[in-house]
Amino acid sequence: MKFFLSAIMICGAFLLAYGQDDANSGAITKVLALEHAWNQAEKTKDTMALDALFDNLLVYVDYDGTLRTKAEFLAQVKSSDSQPQQEITESMNARAFKGSVVVTGIYVARGTDHGRPYVRRGRFIDTWIFEDQGWHCVASQATPILR
Amino acid sequence: MDFRLIVALLLLAAAFPAGAQSPENDHTDQSTVLALENAWNQAVQQKAAAALDLLLANDLVYIEYDGTLMNKTEYLSSVKAQSYHATRIMNESISAHSFGEMVVVYGVYREIGTLSGGKPYLRRERFTDLWVRRKSAWVCVISQSTSIP
Repeated sequence: MKFFLSAIMICGAFLLAYGQDDANSGAITKVLALEHAWNQAEKTKDTMALDALFDNLLVYVDYDGTLRTKAEFLAQVKSSDSQPQQEITESMNARAFKGSVVVTGIYVARGTDHGRPYVRRGRFIDTWIFEDQGWHCVASQATPILR
Repeated sequence: MDFRLIVALLLLAAAFPAGAQSPENDHTDQSTVLALENAWNQAVQQKAAAALDLLLANDLVYIEYDGTLMNKTEYLSSVKAQSYHATRIMNESISAHSFGEMVVVYGVYREIGTLSGGKPYLRRERFTDLWVRRKSAWVCVISQSTSIP
């Protein structure tokens, strides 16, 4: 009987772990797709799409250290001063925690800002949480690669 | 001093058992993590790698203000090998938000010290740190800084 109970417990633990891995993998796939959608929406200045991707408490730290709320970030994207032409993600890794996914990567952005061309390369970390039946970004930070 | 810091960290990190998420628990978690952030500053100032080891997850991802990517081992080595001496490290502003099982800390960090040649330096950075609870203790899994003027 003891052996039988132990076997059930081991199988249960295995299935739980397997189910968790499966759930994490699904969450990571969804969030990585949302990262690509973000790049596309920013390039086309689709602030409605961006609005749906961000939590209302979003804290956004730009490559120059500027702190922006969700409203400020959306206003900046909408502004005609900034004209992004290309947003490429060179590398991207995602890790799942309980109810959250953290994405780290390297981006390259090309465009014009106040008429001046720019090329920016930096590291970013985006933190996504699952709430209200969907994934939303709550924190995003960029750091220029200087070395 | 290093030993006292380690004991304080152990007591602090494990002081509050995990419970169901509630606004009260969130507040407690945030207070604990903010205290650990201050302990982190002290540990860097004292180059106390053993204390830092307790604060940081083994799978830490650390992004320095110049974009350098480090794992935990690399970060601890960099703290021990610093060619400059930090005389004061402080958080100018700091806030914490709970998202389920994670606490996200945002803030501005200021470091004053002297370089190996005796030249003074000042660095200001905006940082985001992500903390998770593992085995009843809070550890930082992600840390990123961006220089600000």
